[in-house]
Amino acid sequence: MTLIVRRAAYRTAMFVLALGLVVLIWETYKAVGPADGGKLLGVRILPRTSEYAMPHVWDMFQRFSRPEVRGSDRTVFSSVLAGAWYSFRLSVAGFVLGGAVGVGLAVLMARFKLVQRGVLPYLVVSQTVPLIALAPLVVSWGGKLEVGPFVWPRWLSASVLGAFLAFFPIAVGTLRGLAAAPAASVELMQSYAASWGKTLVKLKFPTAVPYMVPAFRLGASASVIGVVVAEISTGLKGGIGRLIIEYAREATGDPAKVYTAIFGAAALGLTMAGVVVAVDVFVMRNRPKESIS
Amino acid sequence: MSAVNIRNVSKAFNEGKSNQVDALRDVSLDVKQGEFVSLIGPSGCGKSTLLRLIANLLEPTSGEVSVNGKSAVQARLDQDYGMAFQQAGLFDWRTVRKNIELPLELKGWEKADRRARADEMLQLVKLPEFGDHYPWQLSGGMQQRIAIARALAAHPPLLLMDEPVGALDEMTREYMQGELLRICAATGTTVVFVTHSIPEAVYLSNRVVVMSPRPGRITKVVDVALGGERSEDTRNRTAFFEAITAVREGLRGMHAAHVGLGNDDR
Repeated sequence: MTLIVRRAAYRTAMFVLALGLVVLIWETYKAVGPADGGKLLGVRILPRTSEYAMPHVWDMFQRFSRPEVRGSDRTVFSSVLAGAWYSFRLSVAGFVLGGAVGVGLAVLMARFKLVQRGVLPYLVVSQTVPLIALAPLVVSWGGKLEVGPFVWPRWLSASVLGAFLAFFPIAVGTLRGLAAAPAASVELMQSYAASWGKTLVKLKFPTAVPYMVPAFRLGASASVIGVVVAEISTGLKGGIGRLIIEYAREATGDPAKVYTAIFGAAALGLTMAGVVVAVDVFVMRNRPKESIS
Repeated sequence: MSAVNIRNVSKAFNEGKSNQVDALRDVSLDVKQGEFVSLIGPSGCGKSTLLRLIANLLEPTSGEVSVNGKSAVQARLDQDYGMAFQQAGLFDWRTVRKNIELPLELKGWEKADRRARADEMLQLVKLPEFGDHYPWQLSGGMQQRIAIARALAAHPPLLLMDEPVGALDEMTREYMQGELLRICAATGTTVVFVTHSIPEAVYLSNRVVVMSPRPGRITKVVDVALGGERSEDTRNRTAFFEAITAVREGLRGMHAAHVGLGNDDR
């Protein structure tokens, strides 16, 4: 346990250090770089460092505590927090949906070689479809869907798009994990005359866990990206994605504002990944320590 | 009724293809109830294949295998045997006790019964205080004893072992051999045991079956006249050395015929 704590402390320290380094580079360049950008061999490649293009880091953070619009008593912080919380819930829904589909597909592919050969290439292809092209389609399909009392809510489209990005790493990672059981263990289960389902539950899933955890971590951040992009491209209100667009429009007059929303989105992604890491530490607590990645 | 009956069994891999391998050809063997039989021979002689045929993890190409008077398939479905391999193969995510309970779980035993039997097994292998440990916290020898406890948990009449102590150091190995004899005497289990080691085969067995490769077949069966009671002193008795010589001659006779294979039986 102390090992885990020490490792966690070390990682946190490294994270803070890396963050500090980024701030340092940003502010250093802002201090020494040309205000109107620079040309190199006649091509403009050096970014501008004016207040509009590169606000100070402390200005970005100060912006959190000031009102969202002039005269309002609602601060940017509370707006960003509300937006992030809304998007977080959509991301969790997308992650759960993507996880269920991903694991389900992996089990099917592990069970039937034919399914694996038929489906796996399409899964790879599916990830090359740009999300922005897919978003309006999902919205319009969802809008037409009405099963009994169930009416497709607008937010579900964003979650579905999150799931669309999340399921892929989960399916591939789980599939690899299910194939990772040592031959001797498979033989052992055979010698017990254990059914395929029993072997899956008692042997294959437990051996797959170390493969599934990093896959779920990827899936969690993919789900956030999917939801944020879907919010932007479907015009869904209430989430952090929408906030980024809104604040970006004000960038000419209020350049620090958009960064608050970007920080909100980053914090959202980190929170999702953090939840998965916490689950990881919990499920792996009784495994040999070297298998903790 | 014999514990294991093997009649004219052959096993070929990649049958009918250019890379066909005759793992076993026309092997017959009868193992009596309560008998300890070792299969010995160089790599590729088919001793592990023969064990897997008895376990019904492989099907013979021709011939018949019966276990306790039933077909090998039926014996597997009825869990008439327990199996232990060279690697302990314990599940890392289960405690030692839960590992021993695995075959009982699959048989649908009640929780309390499983626990009671697991504790009984832990006593048998002399590791009663390790039930709540995880396998990776134990030494190799301890893990192997747990694997044997798991194989015996359902009290199968037959134990199939594929070099279960082969990966252990010499001292642990001899200790484990003694433990194995004690456990088998206590439970009356029939054992078919695959090994590379001549002294190990002789020390443990009532009969040592010498096998030769390409194709795998039985070349000699050595009766070990050491009686039922065996101890560390057994290793110094004349009959022990005589049996070792007999097995070695069996292996050597075959080596003379297969020049170049001489050194691959460790």
